Amino acid sequence: MNEDQVNDIIQRWVRQQYSVPEDYQQFKSLGSTCLTECDSAQLLKFLQDEKNQTCSPDELLHSLLELIENIDPGAISETILALVPHLQTVLLRLEDRKSTYLGLALSALQKQLSRLPVPYSQQQEEDDEHGLCRCCNAMAAFTKPFVEEVKRKNGNYMTSSEDEELRTVLLKFCMRSLRDPLLEAELNRDRRSSLWLFATEIMVTLPAIQESLSELLFFNSLKKQTDNSQSKESRACLAYLLFVQLITIDSFPAVFSPVFVLQCNMEHINQLLSRYAESHLLKGLALYAKSLESVQDNSLPVSLLELKSFYSVPRVRQRESGLQLFQLFINKLDAEAKHKFFRCMLKTSNHAGVESYIVKNIRNQVDFSMQPGNANKWFLGEEFLSLLGLVLCLPQGAETDLLNTMDRIMESLNLLRYLLLRDKELRSTTDVWEELCRIKDEYLKMLRVCIGISRVHYSAELKALREDQKLKAKEARDAARSTRLVKSITVKHESNMSPEVQHQVLQSALVTFDLMESLIVRIKEITEEKNRLPQL
Amino acid sequence: MTTDQDLPMDGQPATAVFAAKGIDVTPIKDQGVIKVVKHQGVDKERPMIGDRVTVHYTGRLLSGKKFDCSRDRKEPFCFNVGKGQVLKAWDIGVLSMQRGEVCTLLCKPEYAYGAAGNPDKIPPSSPVVFEMELLKFEGEMLTDDGGILRRIKVKGDGYTNPNDGARVDVHLEGSCGGRLFDCRDVSFTVGEAEDKGVPYGVDRALDKMQKGECCLLYLKPKYGFGSEGKPEYKVGPDKDLVYEVTLKDFQRAKESWEMDLNEKLEMSLEVKRKGNQYFKAGRHYQAIIQYQRIVSWLEMECGTGIEQQKKIQDFLLTSHLNLALCFLRTKDFSQVVENCNKVIELDESNEKALYRRGEARLHRNEFSMAMADFQKVLQVNPSNRAAHAQISICQSKIKEHHEKDKKTYANMFQKFAEWDAKVCKLTVLGYIHSSVTKEENTKSNNTKC
Repeated sequence: MNEDQVNDIIQRWVRQQYSVPEDYQQFKSLGSTCLTECDSAQLLKFLQDEKNQTCSPDELLHSLLELIENIDPGAISETILALVPHLQTVLLRLEDRKSTYLGLALSALQKQLSRLPVPYSQQQEEDDEHGLCRCCNAMAAFTKPFVEEVKRKNGNYMTSSEDEELRTVLLKFCMRSLRDPLLEAELNRDRRSSLWLFATEIMVTLPAIQESLSELLFFNSLKKQTDNSQSKESRACLAYLLFVQLITIDSFPAVFSPVFVLQCNMEHINQLLSRYAESHLLKGLALYAKSLESVQDNSLPVSLLELKSFYSVPRVRQRESGLQLFQLFINKLDAEAKHKFFRCMLKTSNHAGVESYIVKNIRNQVDFSMQPGNANKWFLGEEFLSLLGLVLCLPQGAETDLLNTMDRIMESLNLLRYLLLRDKELRSTTDVWEELCRIKDEYLKMLRVCIGISRVHYSAELKALREDQKLKAKEARDAARSTRLVKSITVKHESNMSPEVQHQVLQSALVTFDLMESLIVRIKEITEEKNRLPQL
Repeated sequence: MTTDQDLPMDGQPATAVFAAKGIDVTPIKDQGVIKVVKHQGVDKERPMIGDRVTVHYTGRLLSGKKFDCSRDRKEPFCFNVGKGQVLKAWDIGVLSMQRGEVCTLLCKPEYAYGAAGNPDKIPPSSPVVFEMELLKFEGEMLTDDGGILRRIKVKGDGYTNPNDGARVDVHLEGSCGGRLFDCRDVSFTVGEAEDKGVPYGVDRALDKMQKGECCLLYLKPKYGFGSEGKPEYKVGPDKDLVYEVTLKDFQRAKESWEMDLNEKLEMSLEVKRKGNQYFKAGRHYQAIIQYQRIVSWLEMECGTGIEQQKKIQDFLLTSHLNLALCFLRTKDFSQVVENCNKVIELDESNEKALYRRGEARLHRNEFSMAMADFQKVLQVNPSNRAAHAQISICQSKIKEHHEKDKKTYANMFQKFAEWDAKVCKLTVLGYIHSSVTKEENTKSNNTKC
């Protein structure tokens, strides 16, 4: 190609907003016939040569930025890795507007990086197929000299707006990195992977640009303008990295009270648990567990529960680790808080498994309260009655679906039996005992009616199922015997379960009702025994 | 700045020094926190509970081993004193300090890290020593614009605070420029303080107060009597106010989860009426509080049966629409958009929501999005003259901006075009593209979009 042709291509490229694929190919071939090896300092020097005076760093930057904006989706990491050192050189040479251009560059780079998938296993991270890890390292190296510049200026009282802008640009970079890719990454203290090192770089950069971690994590609530969901995600990730992965924990102030730390972390935990992404959930649960562990048992006051962040968290999905965490949280509450929490859960969880778990906890608390020195009004006196009223009730009266609420009902009957066996302590407050008996009697009466209705219903279902099976079997035999086609009349099945499974379910339902009834009978027996014995 | 001469390497002499020169600063005098003053303060002022204090500190074990130091971070440490944010010893110790004072605190484990200690740094049941310097302190900001500043004179007890709808009994003393203009006992509902002539700032501060608390509130005009002033108290427009508020007693309003749906629907009717009342009177901030209560009660409810569902939906729709209008008046444009979005989620072609969202976007200079909203309004109701007018405004604004852009970039393109350093461009592109070529053939096409 001759000079005129080259000029032509460049003019065309310059006038258009985007490179067209054909041009791209042409440039590539042109490029490979030109300089192949050239380090950036030499390159720049050449560019600023007298012959080429019109090529200023500004303009070079524009073209580099444009290249970033138009990266071929298949070549993101390679392009970034190739461009970043040049960008750094050019930026460092700029006299003014350095921060603005740095901001533009970082923004454009991070936008492209966010298109790369984040590795979620050790193998994937080591392979680094899409280059995300290498790019993150490159980004950290890229920003280093600018961070150093901010550090040098840190002692001065007079900071120019340019310095302020540089700090802001770097802060934005850190915050964005926290939410993408670090929030998605799987990090492990025992395995210091590239992403771990990148996380450490970010955590070290923040204090270097005078962004206090404690201000960001604990005292940010007043800063409305930065309180959007993206900033929340970044700070939640920051809390995780600090408290769970313990990155830079040594330089974090050690003087905060554990309850305050828990309170502040609840916001971050909520943020992490609000999305269904596995990476977020695991981090949220880990942060929750860590924050609870440093709090003394039986110390969290009821007022904490009134904070919105506290009473929305129990809606955590009840996974195994979730259940452990659930119990850990309960253990940390003081008596009044436990009482309120149990009431809240019984009223709002709408989940028989959770409710049965709560009822079990209530029994444990009553037991604990009966031990010498532990007496409290929340589980032994009048206040306890309000809780009991919530436990010993059938939400839909006689029409309650016993199968769905089975767990809870069985636990409630166990609790009743327990209370009756330990009646001595409870009788000492006669008002309480009378009221307790009244609640018990009403509950048991209703429950018996309910069991009766349910039994009738499920027996009928079982019978219908058996009849249907018999009919089917007969039809099959008839069809086998004759050659004529037999039209079979099938009873409509209401579920997707096979008849065998349905049969099993119905049978076990009936067995459950028997179990409930026997418990009720036992409770009645105990009541009668106690009534016959003389009062002490 | 501080030296370690008073803290030899073994524990004995340190505690001896404290025993000789120290003062027990604990309220119950159990020797839990002993203070030795090294330098007196610059004035006699002490911080008040809740104040935002700034300190420098060094924490050491009795052995002299340092475990934490703010100077190492080159950053003073800030917190709100007396609120349980920090170690008990700090809350007690710092409250006893004067501005500029330097002192050392010897703390028993019960006032510091307790029986558990702190995993890596502090062994179980360790007494610790803190060197403290109180640099400065200021009132606690209750809002992000600094419009309400609080300084607590008497700490309340209990941990709960009044919420919106709570019934409160307070004693108030309001002054302006040093002149007392209002002194009375008054009871009112939080969110409706306006009805008793109590300013918005006091109303908003209540949910951060404890029972029995007595505090001073410094209110900027926005949270006081605004640009209207209050003639009956002889307070002019745009005045700063100071209120001394004592929260004698309160009853919290029921939490959302403590109410059943019928209760919520009943209350919503009353609250909506109240909100409308405030809006008509131009009390937008107060109206916002009322409408937000409805949203907080009903946004998670589904109701049983069509009738209930419709009621819930109606309440939510009108509340969000009204909130959008209020926020337009208070110029909180992102909140306008958020509320309009909620309406549009429920009702795609809601004319009012689209219009108000358009207005908000216009104010935020999001011209094309604003125009899209107004155009949608016309689709729904072609005879909406206001929308026509707004569209013209958008169009002219867009044109204005294009002109500006053209001017800025005209020179740049000009320069590029005149640029005859073809080799310069060539070499840049060439170098970069050649390094990309190397891996072009081996990579996969698997990237996120």
